[in-house]
Amino acid sequence: MSAVEDPRTDVAGGTDGADGSVTFGLTVDGTAHEVTARWDESLLTVLRDRLGVRGPKTGCAHGRCGACAVKADLGDGGHVLCACLVPAATAAGGTVETIASISGPDGALSDVQEAFLAEGAVQCGICTSGFVTAATELLETNPDPTRPEIEAALYGNLCRCTGYGRIVAAVETAARTRRAATR
Amino acid sequence: MLLEAPRFALPETLGEALAARAERPEAVVVAGGTEVMPDLLWRNRTAAGFLSLRRVAALRGTTTDGGELVIGAGTPVAALTTAPDGGLRAAASSLGTPLVRTEATIGGNVVSALPYRNLLPTLLAGGATLELTSATGTRVVPFDGFVTAPGVTGLREGELLTAVRMPVHVGFADYAKVGRRNAQFVATVSAAVVSRDGVARLAFGNAGPTPLRSDAVDTAATALLDGRATPEDLRATVAAAVDPPEDTVASAEYRRHALGVLAVRLVTRAAVDAGLGS
Repeated sequence: MSAVEDPRTDVAGGTDGADGSVTFGLTVDGTAHEVTARWDESLLTVLRDRLGVRGPKTGCAHGRCGACAVKADLGDGGHVLCACLVPAATAAGGTVETIASISGPDGALSDVQEAFLAEGAVQCGICTSGFVTAATELLETNPDPTRPEIEAALYGNLCRCTGYGRIVAAVETAARTRRAATR
Repeated sequence: MLLEAPRFALPETLGEALAARAERPEAVVVAGGTEVMPDLLWRNRTAAGFLSLRRVAALRGTTTDGGELVIGAGTPVAALTTAPDGGLRAAASSLGTPLVRTEATIGGNVVSALPYRNLLPTLLAGGATLELTSATGTRVVPFDGFVTAPGVTGLREGELLTAVRMPVHVGFADYAKVGRRNAQFVATVSAAVVSRDGVARLAFGNAGPTPLRSDAVDTAATALLDGRATPEDLRATVAAAVDPPEDTVASAEYRRHALGVLAVRLVTRAAVDAGLGS
């Protein structure tokens, strides 16, 4: 666990022992956990630092970059959100699906992940799980997105390597592949 | 209660939420967390605990009641991007990112009450009212006057904002903002318009310490709408009516100028819309 990653460690809730802690159930990628965390901790730090789930990445930690995007069901059916913005205990009894749920249980890549590889849409990789998560959500609701629709859906994900062109191309390729497979 | 810890309450019903509000006056009420979590991270605020409204299903969703849209305070901004009101749609669609809009709520936007919040000019121009609920009942107050200073509202101890009521306008409504870049930006200044039956009503964000509108501006806007005045007239009236802040983002002079530009832009759109006969 890294103090640098979450500077709140020494402010409110950090040192008051039992009074500052919350304990709740959380299912992550199909595995049920009982989590004990500080009351003000984010879902992202619980996933990464408490549960060792390292698919979602810590980028900006304030909802701008989308590197921490996960699909979470907080009792409302579930959607993709920034795990860094969710107070972790808010998800009590809920379920989270990270990038690990998008790939197969044996590590087999999904069609979106294959398209990211094929199109060269991955460079340093820190943004990739967030992009794949957002793109997968897009294709589930819109199997034939236009380029502006892809750009709008990925507006909350930042990449500082690729210039986005290869990423948009990868989503177009994944959409084409998926439509061909289901035809 | 889904979860009850000394420093975290997670109610599932409005009754539980109101009880927790009364029992925990020091707790920060959090809905989507999109403002509170970064504030804690950056130490812009301290908190003694959370009262999370995120799991109170009764606060989420939009219904219509007579001529009004009744938007539950916990309704995510994402749901407003398809609202029947053009101003709400535009303000919601330009808030944060898609991944933020699924969690950010209209209630959080209103109660956080900062001058640059997206939805506030739209609510002021549209004549919105607010349902404020406590253990003793619900009162309905106009949004106009609810924000008394940046971040300060007329919400009383033990009260929660439970719904925003917005008259459904037959006419034109829109919102526009300018910022320091073209993506993921906070409003340096913003403006909203509602126009119907030949009358225009404008409201502004970051034009003063609280959301701002004025009868003089609406008179000038209506005159521009029906061709009795020029854009310069409206810009001059706006410049005289606003009292924008001076800060590291922009000068008061820049904001005064930009507010006039936005006012003319929105009234021009309303005029074009009226000309098209909608």
